[in-house]
Parts: sequence; structure tokens; C-alpha cells
Amino acid sequence: MKMIRAILRPETAESVAESLADAGFVSMTQIHVFGRGKQKGITVGTIHYEELPKTMILMVVEDKNVDHVIALIKDGAYTGNFGDGKVFVSPVEEAYTVRTGTKGL
Amino acid sequence: MKEIIAIIRPKKVGATRDAFEQLGFPSMTATAVTGRGLQRGISGEVNVQYAPAALAKSISGGMKYVPKRLISIIVPDADVDVVVKTIIEVNQTAQIGDGKIFVCPIDDALRVRTGEQSESAIL
Repeated sequence: MKMIRAILRPETAESVAESLADAGFVSMTQIHVFGRGKQKGITVGTIHYEELPKTMILMVVEDKNVDHVIALIKDGAYTGNFGDGKVFVSPVEEAYTVRTGTKGL
Repeated sequence: MKEIIAIIRPKKVGATRDAFEQLGFPSMTATAVTGRGLQRGISGEVNVQYAPAALAKSISGGMKYVPKRLISIIVPDADVDVVVKTIIEVNQTAQIGDGKIFVCPIDDALRVRTGEQSESAIL
């Protein structure tokens, strides 16, 4: 299993979540975060914003689905401008469902 | 070391924290998150009376994302099973929406105040 953390524009997160749900990846967690990338925030006129609001989508999927999910996120979140976001993939060794106590997704 | 990420009901955080304390793991991080599981979000999760007119307008009749708490706790390899078992015991309500637990590997840890590394940093 892999954990996919995608840090996206808040306005694109909803459409990404919907396209993921349509493809069968319904389960996910959304976290509102602040951050900046290589551009060190953004300057609008005379005001410099150090950190920008983003939405982090956190989901755990089976290894074989990782590429599919990343492709879906890429499609939904792409605008071509700085600030589209990043996707991180990290290993998950075990998953449990609390209600049933069973192992696995 | 392993990181145990548990996404649980907000009202169960206190009980879970107390159970961790009993086990000897008082340190943890909690984040307010929203999310959904295989049921695509459910209604009846929070005690809010919906106006019938608003309920009729909505497509699913429920809420899209359900408020949850994400708890992250880092424990030595040997204690993973007992912590997972405790989380499951404390949080089981037999209702949909009890949450998920993920166990992820952690390579290193550092206590900022003293500079201790790896397991001595988390215990």
C-alpha cells in the first residue's frame, strides 16, 4: 500500500476529489494547509504572501493503483501556472478498519 | 520506529488519548481534518438539525465530507500491535465511520531540545 499526499489549489481539489470518486477511489481525507514552493510565496503588487492556502488530499491506495491515481490528480489539478501543487507517495505497511478490526483497506 | 496514523471520530479523541497515556505513550499530534470513506460521506454524524428545504435541495441528503481527527503517534516497532489494538478497542462503536489506521515506517527522529536521535528521541 502507498499513501498519496497531494497538495493542490483549494479550487481544484474538489474536482480532483470528484474525478477520483468516479474512478472508484472514494475514500480520502482533506486537510487545509498553508505552504509555499520554490517561488517563495507570491507577490501581488506591493504585498508579498509568504504562505499560500492549499488543500492536502491524503489517501491510501494499493500499489497497483498508484499510477492511475497520480494520473487522475495530474489531470484534474493542472493549470500550467506556478502553484499547481505537489504529489508525494510514501509507503504504508499496514491498514486497519476500526469498526471491524480487519486488516487491509 | 513506526508512525501510526489514525483517523477517528472527534469525540473519541479524549478517550484515545487517555488510553495512550495508560500504555505509556503520552505524546501525539492531532489535526482537524475532513474526509470520507467507502460510504461517500454519511449523514447523522453530527447533531445538527437540517432544514427540510435544504435537505430536499441537496443531492445525497447527507454531507460530502465528515469532520474527523487525524492522530499521529510514533512508537517503537515492538509496540505497534498493542497501540493499534488499543485504538481499535477504544474507537469501536459498530457504526459506519469509526475510522482507519495506517502504519508507516519512520527512518529517524530528532528531539530538538537535546539533539537526541532515533528511539531515545520518542521515548
